[in-house]
Amino acid sequence: MTNVLVYVQHKNGVTPKVTFEMATQARKLADTLGGKAYALVVGAGSSKLAETLKTYPLDAVHVNDDADVDKFLLDPVVDYLEAAAKAIGPALLLVANTLTGKDVAGRLVGRLNAGICADATDFKIEGGKVVAVMPKFGGAAITNCELRPGDYGIVTIRPNAFAAQAGGAGASVQAIEKPAGKSYGVVVEKDVEEGTGELALEEAPVVVAGGRGLGGPGPFDTLLKPLASALGGAVGASRAAADAGWVPYSLQIGQTGKTVSPSLYVAVGISGAIQHKVGMRSSGTIVAINKDGQSPIAEFSDLLVVGDAFAIVPELTKLVQAAKS
Amino acid sequence: MKIVVTVKLVPDPNAEKRIDDGTKRLIRTGVETVLNPYDEYALEAALQLKEKIGGDTTVTVFSMAPEALKETLRKALAMGADDAVLLSDAGLEGSDVWASSYAIAHALKKVGFDLLIVGGLSDDGSTGATPGALAEYLQTPLVTNARKAEVDGGKLKIERETDTGYQDVTAPLPCVMTTALTFGEPRYASLKGIMGAKKKTIAALTLGDLGLTQPVGQGGSKTQLLAFAPPPARGKGRVIEAADGPSGAQAIFDFLKERKLV
Repeated sequence: MTNVLVYVQHKNGVTPKVTFEMATQARKLADTLGGKAYALVVGAGSSKLAETLKTYPLDAVHVNDDADVDKFLLDPVVDYLEAAAKAIGPALLLVANTLTGKDVAGRLVGRLNAGICADATDFKIEGGKVVAVMPKFGGAAITNCELRPGDYGIVTIRPNAFAAQAGGAGASVQAIEKPAGKSYGVVVEKDVEEGTGELALEEAPVVVAGGRGLGGPGPFDTLLKPLASALGGAVGASRAAADAGWVPYSLQIGQTGKTVSPSLYVAVGISGAIQHKVGMRSSGTIVAINKDGQSPIAEFSDLLVVGDAFAIVPELTKLVQAAKS
Repeated sequence: MKIVVTVKLVPDPNAEKRIDDGTKRLIRTGVETVLNPYDEYALEAALQLKEKIGGDTTVTVFSMAPEALKETLRKALAMGADDAVLLSDAGLEGSDVWASSYAIAHALKKVGFDLLIVGGLSDDGSTGATPGALAEYLQTPLVTNARKAEVDGGKLKIERETDTGYQDVTAPLPCVMTTALTFGEPRYASLKGIMGAKKKTIAALTLGDLGLTQPVGQGGSKTQLLAFAPPPARGKGRVIEAADGPSGAQAIFDFLKERKLV
């Protein structure tokens, strides 16, 4: 296991930030292991994205604008990755720990008979062996997972855990041939984007999240969004808010939703049940606004302000805006 | 149509998770074993599909677990599954994601299915990789995060959650599907269901039945858990009572400034 291959998840050339975090980390890993760092980007918009990717310290970016990748679910991507991986031998594959990334990684486990370590936040190389460091059991423990060097290894990467840094000599962009003799059965009939143009929750440096205490969908727009914008972050929600239909499930943070680790997490009207805690407890600083000083969130927030969120948040938004201008 | 649902037996998710220093595994003694809560959603999806499709549709529950946990599967049978299959073997102990998926897939080939439904996550050490690995070894398509599903003209049609929205997808059968929690709350077992479950069959499989060509268990695994540590402690922070909006806002703003976050 010396070479490193990054799977680039994207839609029409738009990729999450974690792609660049992986590209940067791939170089470091490849240098330590004595191999090369590659990325694979396939589907509509790939050539355009490759122009950005090549400014990161990779050796080569493999590209194909194949429209089948968007027309059919998963299978074309896995075939491309298999071909790219087999061309470089038992490699280390880096995949974002997103919904799509988990699906791709799972298929590669079977396709390449590979070991997998999930949701890594750090790496150690010990005696030529790759060890992924990962929070487990909702952050209750930090574990070290070692990959067997003779096999393919897959590590899914937690967004926001690694630094992204462009640089290096400039990667070569190479066309990769479409794997021959494949037929695809799972057809994507409709593909709907929700919340376009907003920062992806898992990657936002600041998350302002609302819960049951907000009482309805309105305050997410009128109260939380302005504060999130002022802080340069994204809006999230507790399960209670998503279950009530106030926000789409794509905004839900917690055990059954997304895991976030922004540098600042502002919890508004969220009691802080364990199910929510496991999705955000690795945040840098946690600030809570709640009318109940005894709510569980008091136990793990750096600052809890007991008071009326509807009065506090607009004032705070003004203060942040004023400080910025 | 034959629907198979895989269920994992996990330590009660409401109990605090502790790891054994020696084995590096989750301590299960003294903690009740239950159906992985996410798998109950998969079972709910299977039961809903069975009701919709009707005819001779059956729901079989499959699990890989020590034989001693067999009776835990009765809960799935009480919810409405028709029968169960349990793969147990001491040789499976310590299997990682690869080894478990490899063994389970070969067992499922024996069981046979038109539709395999897998929970999206497990409550104990989740990677989310198992469904994909199963689909590969079973050579079937994989559709994930379904929040609605129907079988129409021999095809599976689902609405699925994506990282940024949702998709409508059609897949041929046989197929592997995972469910999102938005599929619907799992039903409770009725008294009739609980009584009936006692008479339902739980068939047994062991490694010898599978004809595996690669080793599994700890020795066959492709990853090893080396060490673990508790996460950095996060103590209880400051608590401030805000007299009104502006004073509460000022307190937060000062705190953010102190931490150089604004």
